[in-house]
Amino acid sequence: MQKGEMLIGWSTKEDVRKRGGSGGLVTSVVAAALEKKLVDAVVVLRKINEFEAVPIITSDVNEVLNSAGSLHSVPSNFAKLIADRNLKIALPAKGCDVRAIIEQSKRNAINPDNTFIIGLNCGGSMHPVTTREMLDVLYKIKPEDVQGEEIEKGKLIFETKDGKEHAITIDELEEKGYGRRENCRYCMLKIPNNADLACGNWGVTGDLVGKATFVEINSEKGAKLLQNAIDAGYVQIQKPDEKGIATRAKIKGAMEGLGKKWKEKVFVPLDNRLEYFRKELEHCIDCGACKTVCPTCSCGDISKCTEFHSRADPYRMSMYHLVRFLHLADSCIGCGQCSDVCPADIQLARLYRRFANPVQEELKYEPGIDLRKPPYFEAKLEV
Amino acid sequence: MNVYSTICPGCNFGCGLYIRENGKLELDFRKSSPANAGKLCRFGMSLPRFYAPLRSTVDGKETTLDEAAKEAAKRISGGSAAFLSFGNTTCEELLAFQKLAESYLCTGANFDALPKDTHQTLSVGIPYSEVETAKHIVLFIDPYEQYPLILRRLLAAKKKGAKITSVWWKKLAVADETVNPADISKLQLTKDSLVIADFHPFSDVEQVKNVLSIAKNSEARITFLKPFANSTWAYIAAKDAKQKSLAQLVEDINKGTVKTLFCLESDPSELIPQDVLGKLTNIIVQAGQAGAITNKAHVVVAHEPLYKKKGTLINNEGRAQALGGGSTNGLDALGIVAGTKLEFNSLHESVKKSLGIAAVDEFSIPKYERPAYAALQAALKPVEAKTALVSVYNPFMWFNMIDDNDFVEMSLNTSRGLKLLKGGTIKIKSNGSTIEKKFRVAPVQENVLLSCKKFGIEKGTITPVEVSR
Repeated sequence: MQKGEMLIGWSTKEDVRKRGGSGGLVTSVVAAALEKKLVDAVVVLRKINEFEAVPIITSDVNEVLNSAGSLHSVPSNFAKLIADRNLKIALPAKGCDVRAIIEQSKRNAINPDNTFIIGLNCGGSMHPVTTREMLDVLYKIKPEDVQGEEIEKGKLIFETKDGKEHAITIDELEEKGYGRRENCRYCMLKIPNNADLACGNWGVTGDLVGKATFVEINSEKGAKLLQNAIDAGYVQIQKPDEKGIATRAKIKGAMEGLGKKWKEKVFVPLDNRLEYFRKELEHCIDCGACKTVCPTCSCGDISKCTEFHSRADPYRMSMYHLVRFLHLADSCIGCGQCSDVCPADIQLARLYRRFANPVQEELKYEPGIDLRKPPYFEAKLEV
Repeated sequence: MNVYSTICPGCNFGCGLYIRENGKLELDFRKSSPANAGKLCRFGMSLPRFYAPLRSTVDGKETTLDEAAKEAAKRISGGSAAFLSFGNTTCEELLAFQKLAESYLCTGANFDALPKDTHQTLSVGIPYSEVETAKHIVLFIDPYEQYPLILRRLLAAKKKGAKITSVWWKKLAVADETVNPADISKLQLTKDSLVIADFHPFSDVEQVKNVLSIAKNSEARITFLKPFANSTWAYIAAKDAKQKSLAQLVEDINKGTVKTLFCLESDPSELIPQDVLGKLTNIIVQAGQAGAITNKAHVVVAHEPLYKKKGTLINNEGRAQALGGGSTNGLDALGIVAGTKLEFNSLHESVKKSLGIAAVDEFSIPKYERPAYAALQAALKPVEAKTALVSVYNPFMWFNMIDDNDFVEMSLNTSRGLKLLKGGTIKIKSNGSTIEKKFRVAPVQENVLLSCKKFGIEKGTITPVEVSR
């Protein structure tokens, strides 16, 4: 087993296969890492219901085996949860989580040698409140009646407790203002090859559809992680067929194409940039949630954006935001967590990307992709 | 790692969040919470600071919760005790507390001065979803400073075409038009209007009557926001109780008929002058976190903080919300004070029965009676001072917590008239005291200073002041 290898695998445990998504491979890899002491702790989502799960750090294998499967309505944020804790840890992570972990590693807040990242293919996540409203308005089903959801062939499908499936195309949902969070629509990282493993159902074919996970090994750590799960008897694997590999590449290409279209649609050139930013930020209440939640920020309580800012200042646009725009130009990964938590519903991710897109394109620097590339605007001090 | 799904105690909005205990307290955003979609205001973001650890004490000496509660029971038995709670805790605890407080209950609200038929309107607000669909909204609050989570509802309404009128001392970015509170007669409402005001211990009763009257006369809907978590339940549960107003409580302490004050999860130090509190023989505080009053209290019954409690809260919409903790030791302590064992389950059943619900479900709002109230007359007193210092009450003020708010706001003309220097200070004189504060120029009405911090020179919400360079 080595870097670059592609495999198809599933959990050997029947209950995990049933509960977890796509054959329960990810849950089993994480559980095996814990049980065989490859790591001391893992991050899992403790499921509350179909629209809510809370991330926890645990060393309890049973908690891992009982954790949530794929939940598109839980836009989780794991990097800060594990930052500055010096843990030997394994965790599943969607593309933006992986990017955030890499950025935190560059800033010495996470030790990459002790962090095993199981990347999850991600076409996008949805805000739970928007999802509940969407179920009511468009699907005409009660959120309480939902018992599962999946995305397949461009459709978002909800399964209700009566066994029926309810499908609407994502295009239609998004035209009507529902569907994925805005930043997910223009995200270009669909298969997280920046993680130790990249897992998902794209490329699983034939009888194994829905029952297995396609795994790409991206690092030696990834190989070790998967081999550990096989040796522990948690996971079985086989080689994928050529058709599967081709399908996977095709889906990836299509998703990236769609992301590019959305990017062009959202980031139309501006006539009056200063006025645009002033207007967008006029309802800011200075809560600081966007900084607190930002998974690439590792400044702590005392930071440039807060220290240069005072509520007593009469600026028409706060220094806090100006400093953050600058600070994030090279490190914003477009995860959208800032927009999610803004109490004034400011589309902050869009504003940060307005600065980050041209800078990152010009510098050919994508944050969170390659651990060896230091943040462009900062020097990484060797300790 | 302990993670609690909880509700922010900063006001009555009912914002859901997670609190993690992981060496230190951390917060996480509970995005599925229906009241706030996981979003938090400045105060909500400060909760790890709010939940300062507290220990039980008797006359300054550390003791156990049980011993402190037994001592509290002794000290209230003298017959001159008053009981104060604005809310800030579970319905189950408040039910037990209000029974204990039958002889002298104060919820901080001055219901006695307001017609009985307005009490329900003051106690239970309308669903936030109705704010989003209103066609015309009239604000008697500053949403940015006072109740920030209503802001996104206002913005959603605006997106759908609503017009927003603000009756405030400052031009608010969300408002399409601003009416000076002194020119309230210029206000034009219709039955499509929705009035948003607030109701708190310092509310001017005549102003509350006036707002109620304006809504009544135009058949507009009206909703009152409130600064204390679960004050909705504190008010509706006490609707038939003989309540004392805060002013009455102050008078009775001054007269010496109240010598002991028992405060449940409520800090009176922002509401009752320090010299008055100093006249009490016993201040007993039952609370889950340290605050200004716990340093002054003779008996501190320290139980679990709100996020660890088991129980129900009712937010401003009337939405019943379950706390995610499992502890009932606050209730147990109240049982010791009352001399009876209190059962959580039976109190919980009483709460549900009173709300007419079979289970606590945060995604549906129980049906409340919203009785019409009769026409009422207000006797507003005009502000005669040349310059007024207006206190913009916000969670940091109610809970006496430090914030980045040590300045006043004023108009450019007021600043120029006083020849103030940019980046300098202003001297503010009232009641023989002078303070010097930083100022910020903002679109504020002429001759008004707005403050989000209590400076110690105030006399109520509006204080006549003299200002100079």
